[in-house]
Amino acid sequence: MISLTNLILVFLIGSIVSYLLTKANKILGSIFNFLLISYALYVVWNIKVGHEEVLFRILRDVERTLKVTNLGKYFAIVSLIVISFVAFFIIEWIRKKDIKPAAFNSFLLLMVSGILGVFFSNDLLTLYIFWEIAVLGSFLIVPMGKKESKRAAIIYVVTSAIGSYMYLFATFSIYQRYGILSFEQVSQYLANDSSNLFKWFVILFIASAGIAKSGIFPLHTWLRITHGNAPDAFSAVLSGQLVKMGSYVLAIALSVFPTTQLFSSFYHGVPLLNYVLIWLGNISILIGTFMAIRQNDMKQLIAFSSIANGGYILVGLGIMNSIGYAGGLFHVFNHAIAAAMIFLSFAAVVYRTGTTKIDEMGGLIWRMPWTFVTYLVGIISLAGIPPTSGFISKWMIFSSLVSKGMFITLAITFIGSVGSFLYVFRPLAGVFLGQLKRKHSDVKEVPIIMLVPMLLFVILTILIGVYPKPVLDSIVSIENEVGIKAIEHSGTIIKTPLGQWNTLTVFTMFSVGFIIAAILYMIFPKGKKVDLTDQYTGGEYLYNYDLYHYATGFYRFIERLYDKHPSFEKLYEKLVSFFRYIGYFTYKLVYKTSPSGYVFWITIVILILFWVRW
Amino acid sequence: MTVLRVIAVLLTGFFVGLTLEGIARKIMARVQRRYGPPWYQNFIDVFKALSKRGISHGWIFDFGILMALGGVIATLAFVPLGDLVAFPGLDNIFIIVYLFAVGALGMAMGMVGSGNPNASIGVARALTQMLGYEVPYLVAIAGVLYYYKTSSVSGLMMAQQDTWTLFKMPIGGIVAFISLLGMLGKKPFDTPIAPAEIASGPMVELSAKYMGLLMLMHTFSIFVEISLFVDIFLGISNYLTFLLKFTVVWIIATLISAVLPRFRIEQVVKFYWKVPLSLAFVQVLFVLLGWVF
Repeated sequence: MISLTNLILVFLIGSIVSYLLTKANKILGSIFNFLLISYALYVVWNIKVGHEEVLFRILRDVERTLKVTNLGKYFAIVSLIVISFVAFFIIEWIRKKDIKPAAFNSFLLLMVSGILGVFFSNDLLTLYIFWEIAVLGSFLIVPMGKKESKRAAIIYVVTSAIGSYMYLFATFSIYQRYGILSFEQVSQYLANDSSNLFKWFVILFIASAGIAKSGIFPLHTWLRITHGNAPDAFSAVLSGQLVKMGSYVLAIALSVFPTTQLFSSFYHGVPLLNYVLIWLGNISILIGTFMAIRQNDMKQLIAFSSIANGGYILVGLGIMNSIGYAGGLFHVFNHAIAAAMIFLSFAAVVYRTGTTKIDEMGGLIWRMPWTFVTYLVGIISLAGIPPTSGFISKWMIFSSLVSKGMFITLAITFIGSVGSFLYVFRPLAGVFLGQLKRKHSDVKEVPIIMLVPMLLFVILTILIGVYPKPVLDSIVSIENEVGIKAIEHSGTIIKTPLGQWNTLTVFTMFSVGFIIAAILYMIFPKGKKVDLTDQYTGGEYLYNYDLYHYATGFYRFIERLYDKHPSFEKLYEKLVSFFRYIGYFTYKLVYKTSPSGYVFWITIVILILFWVRW
Repeated sequence: MTVLRVIAVLLTGFFVGLTLEGIARKIMARVQRRYGPPWYQNFIDVFKALSKRGISHGWIFDFGILMALGGVIATLAFVPLGDLVAFPGLDNIFIIVYLFAVGALGMAMGMVGSGNPNASIGVARALTQMLGYEVPYLVAIAGVLYYYKTSSVSGLMMAQQDTWTLFKMPIGGIVAFISLLGMLGKKPFDTPIAPAEIASGPMVELSAKYMGLLMLMHTFSIFVEISLFVDIFLGISNYLTFLLKFTVVWIIATLISAVLPRFRIEQVVKFYWKVPLSLAFVQVLFVLLGWVF
């Protein structure tokens, strides 16, 4: 078996090989990518927990190792499943796309090498280095999408930088105070530290990298513009995988540094710090849900839903009891799969129609039935409806919130959950159902290579929904590792203090109900099939059925209630123009008058900073 | 044994549900000083609709209807009817509420699949209304779950040894009842159907057997919704007292809806989020403080 260090090196070299291969032949390079990522999945799947490696040393007295933990392995497997499926999708997708395929494939591998490093690093600094590699890879891919993508990439990297510099600041503070950096030691030193302020500062600043990455309020604004404008297939990786890197850092900040032991309980066993983070999650759920309901661009709609689901994960992890933490981790898996399959189905739609606006489409179900099936199962899982896997995690989060008596958070998660029925239905009705637009009458289903990963996602979602044991087993081992009481389950029965349920019974009963309905359907006389143009119109004669499709302003009646909502995007734009003005002012004042003086003063400032060692 | 119990639950849902719907029509007529149809009118309607030849709008239309009826049948099987529990220990309240959404989603999908904008508007309204009533309802129910430390519906029923939850948590009971009216789609919350505005909304393209199957789905849905309320709030009951309580709740709901006009959809949401939601929070505050009678 190849070692982790070598695997990461293989990916770094592979990114160059992939560049050359893709230059020679687009499809060959994409196949190479897919094979390499699948191989990484195979290696990670079989790797032993507890395995350690020395990667490199930069700082004295700090052993810089890669270490396989249950937590990292779980995240890595989920990520690699998503990326390898998407890589398979790309083999066909890249043929028609007029992006730079060589660069795309090369940066994808660069990103994967970063991701592998993030999930297996054993100390704060190594994690940061690989984190930036992953951000770099994805940052270079984002601008290959639409026209607005360049701006999207800048917003993405700036937001990411805010989080990761705060993280880096906390890392160096820890190193200065304790002289160590590995997670295990840091959590021991933190437990013995008397200063509450320092603990707060460290954990909040480390968590802020996760907050920025998983799109939690107040750093959520990049998701809409980045997910909406990135290349279509890459949006699936962004929402299905990269956002989960943020959840990983949040899981580390909250559980590897055991917050429930570091701080005293504030409300029913939840410390104040976790409570603050849970509230950030709550606000994200509200923003994500209500903004998603308003969107007319289907990719931006699901981007907002990613904000809401990031909030769910944070709420689950923040509770830090056996069920809530498990719910948060399970939701990582569910949202990764669901978001990836939804974005892939959108990529398929864009591949054929070339638009992302919901009201420019309609009736695609008659042309792209399998894409529709993918989207349907994806939204059933995203909205948390049994028998798909999405329900299990939402149920766990609800159960733990009830048992903790956190009713306001509970109400907000209910709003997010019912609200998700609303927003996922909007593309369903607008894009797939209703009358087919005349200009789309010759649209075909996407090629089989694109369909295969989409349908594999469908099977995976339903399979885990009926038989969640594999995921639950890894969650149990993670909970044992971080010292939380593990959840009880036996294959298909999941138990909580509040009661239990059996996934298999629910699925069987649903099938029975469906069969009863089907029998009733079959024994009664068959209906006559008519066209969608044969309608009740209130006596009106219609000549253009394109206009008869109800998709514009689908929820206008409720949107109207919050049209004048405060917008953080606008606030940040004001900040940006403020800084731009200051920069322009300085430029005019100092640089224009005397460039050499400008350089002189800059040097003086840097020297002073260096001298004070601040 | 489980199979027999499931069959018993489904047959109860069918016969009692359709009978009570007929009775409700009769009561409604008498309130409005009409004579009204006989109590078995709904049986006639369903079988007549099922036996006719209608029109279909393609496979998603048919599939949506199957998914709707299948989902609701599955949900009904998990609901305890007094002491008749098809799956003891597995009747989790969240399962029932969310499995119920499968049926709703199926119906929404099938009806929008008919391609009629009236149906789309009706479905959009129905989902919005759901956003209104589910939140106060679930918060009120969560207070009950927190108090009794179980989320099994029959467990919640058996926990009411001394008094009914309705008397222990009267505010929560009222909130749940108001939400129940919204769930049933009864006036003043019948905005999604609104026959005079949007031609019966989701049902606009239904005919013959499709109409019949969705009438069955509607009957079962009503049965699920009211059963949950009776189980959770109205004390321990055996099969017969359960049906008695069920009938009383259904008649009260019918009487209320018989005299009220219809809300606009944004008024529904505003109302639910102002009054019942605040009341639900008051109730859970009482539960947290231990002020339960």
